[in-house]
Amino acid sequence: MRKILLGTTAVVSAVVGAAVMAPQASAQEAPTVRIGGFFRAYYGYTQQTGQQGSPGLNGAPIASGGVAGFLAPANVGANARLGKHDISTDTEVHVFVNGKLANGITYGAVIEVNFNNLEGRQTLQERASAPKTTAGLDEAYAFVAHPRFGQIRFGDEDGPMGGLMNSGWVTGFGTGGIFGEWESFVVRSGGARTLTAPGGLGDSSKIIYMTPQFFGFDFGASFAPNYNGGEDTGCPNNGPTGFCDRAYAFVGARNIGIPSAIPDFSVRKNEYQLAARWRGNVAGVGLAATAGYIGSGAARDLNSVTGQQARVFNNLNIMQVGAQASYMGFTVGAAYMWGDFNWFYGNNLRGGRQSSQLTVGGQYSAGPFTVGANMFSGLFEGAQRTTFTENAAGGFTQGVAATGRAGERRWGLGVGANYRLAPGMDLLAEYTYFSRREQGVDLDVFRTGVQSRATASVFILGTRLAF
Amino acid sequence: MTHPLRITFAALLALPLLSACGGGRMVGNDEYGSDSQRARVQGRLGGAGDGIVVFGVDRSREAQGAAAAAAAGGGAGMTVNAFLWRATLDTLSFMPLASADPFGGVIITDWYSPPASEGERFKATAYVTSRQLRSDGVRVQVFRQVNQRGGWVDAPTSAATNSEMEDRVLARARELRSQSAGVR
Repeated sequence: MRKILLGTTAVVSAVVGAAVMAPQASAQEAPTVRIGGFFRAYYGYTQQTGQQGSPGLNGAPIASGGVAGFLAPANVGANARLGKHDISTDTEVHVFVNGKLANGITYGAVIEVNFNNLEGRQTLQERASAPKTTAGLDEAYAFVAHPRFGQIRFGDEDGPMGGLMNSGWVTGFGTGGIFGEWESFVVRSGGARTLTAPGGLGDSSKIIYMTPQFFGFDFGASFAPNYNGGEDTGCPNNGPTGFCDRAYAFVGARNIGIPSAIPDFSVRKNEYQLAARWRGNVAGVGLAATAGYIGSGAARDLNSVTGQQARVFNNLNIMQVGAQASYMGFTVGAAYMWGDFNWFYGNNLRGGRQSSQLTVGGQYSAGPFTVGANMFSGLFEGAQRTTFTENAAGGFTQGVAATGRAGERRWGLGVGANYRLAPGMDLLAEYTYFSRREQGVDLDVFRTGVQSRATASVFILGTRLAF
Repeated sequence: MTHPLRITFAALLALPLLSACGGGRMVGNDEYGSDSQRARVQGRLGGAGDGIVVFGVDRSREAQGAAAAAAAGGGAGMTVNAFLWRATLDTLSFMPLASADPFGGVIITDWYSPPASEGERFKATAYVTSRQLRSDGVRVQVFRQVNQRGGWVDAPTSAATNSEMEDRVLARARELRSQSAGVR
């Protein structure tokens, strides 16, 4: 909501107060350091498919250096469902550094520490584990801005189309509706939870340039040479592997090179983003529209015998347009994206279908109350339809994974309401429904037969506060 | 990506150069989106400031006041002309001050008896009404009382008194303005 309100305010300022807001020389300001953050606690009631398992066996300590996993029951049916109730908490602490020089240049840094990088306790051996509340770094960047020349951000940040300048994503109610926090309650099996939305692209270390606004328009561009964020090269071993930031070809990229397969083990290279945004006010209606593009290359696979390289992934090639309008407390918006990407902004294997997704939403605010709804529907490549295998000639052979695969449909909706108890503190309620359907692919392996559908519905009641 | 699209985006990329030439409005950090859940919460528990200052001086309230004043055409922190305001204070400074409201532009003095004339006393109310340095931007009303048999009784002032006071304020304002220009 705040984002939308600020955006709306900016729209009004841009049009009505253009003269007033013209760049002016102003006094130097000594730097300040601020601490901010948020905390939230939600009760969630969850119904989902794909929740059968063997809880007694899962999470048992494993040998040092082993790979975490779960033990599947020996027979289909020897399993139990999960419960429906849970309470989930989350928090972030942000550090803001801001200063201003006498020549009008503002500068500073933003460091966001979060505590939700691990979805479950990571056990190396008994009494040697990391809790799921372990601290990690989200965004961390420095910025330099000038009224005439715009702003440069340098560090781990979303990028112009990765969340900074998008329009049409209405998320100012509940926890964000279908793009909110219901995923905190849904287990991954069946995959009925991953979304394609701003902020999901990742914070690959990058450089971003964003222009001042003129005639209502501002523009942004960014470049990230590699996928990882943070310090160091990403190589945990003596020998360079696919984990390394700068690895542009590695053995097995076809199997593990998509971001979610193993975090920070991605084939995405040379990611660049372009965005053009317009904001204005027509007859009292605040308007914003954005068009943009996300592109990238992809690392290559390496034949384990001959070292021959092969291009097995499509480049990222994502276009997005979005628009929103605000009037008298009402906000409506829609965004459409299409191109070469999978449902979490991963590179598809060559031969994979293009994806497309439409999202629409609306909300209404009156005093301390806000209500709203949003939904999305998208077609994506599902379980990849093509395979690449090393062949006798030392290269790769492209094959067909399974017959009849045609991609998957994901859609979901969310409705929610907030009551602002105090500035910075909300009470909220929300309901979301999410569906994933892929013909011929079993999305619930512990049930008899092929279940081509996975769903999750979550009701959330809780509070969140920001300081 | 098709060829026309590449050209389109290349053109979009070139547009920032225009903004550098033609000037523009600085886009605030709070006009960009954020994927943080913090950004979705409206307001801050700490009040107007975005976070809690742990180092440096919190200028957010000061900045908000200055922005409001700048939007209204006045000086920093004020909604009336700073020269007129200062000159009015200077001109009436020989009398004890009862109240001064820089946002409303009202100055009220307390009763004052000149040493040379202890049988009468004066009180003045000044209104600074303009954001610009204009001759009609200030109005002074002087009240007079005389002592009759131990009690103060209202008495008329001469018609010229008010306008003379206003002239002195304007002269002082002009003086302050010229001093300020000299410094720059």
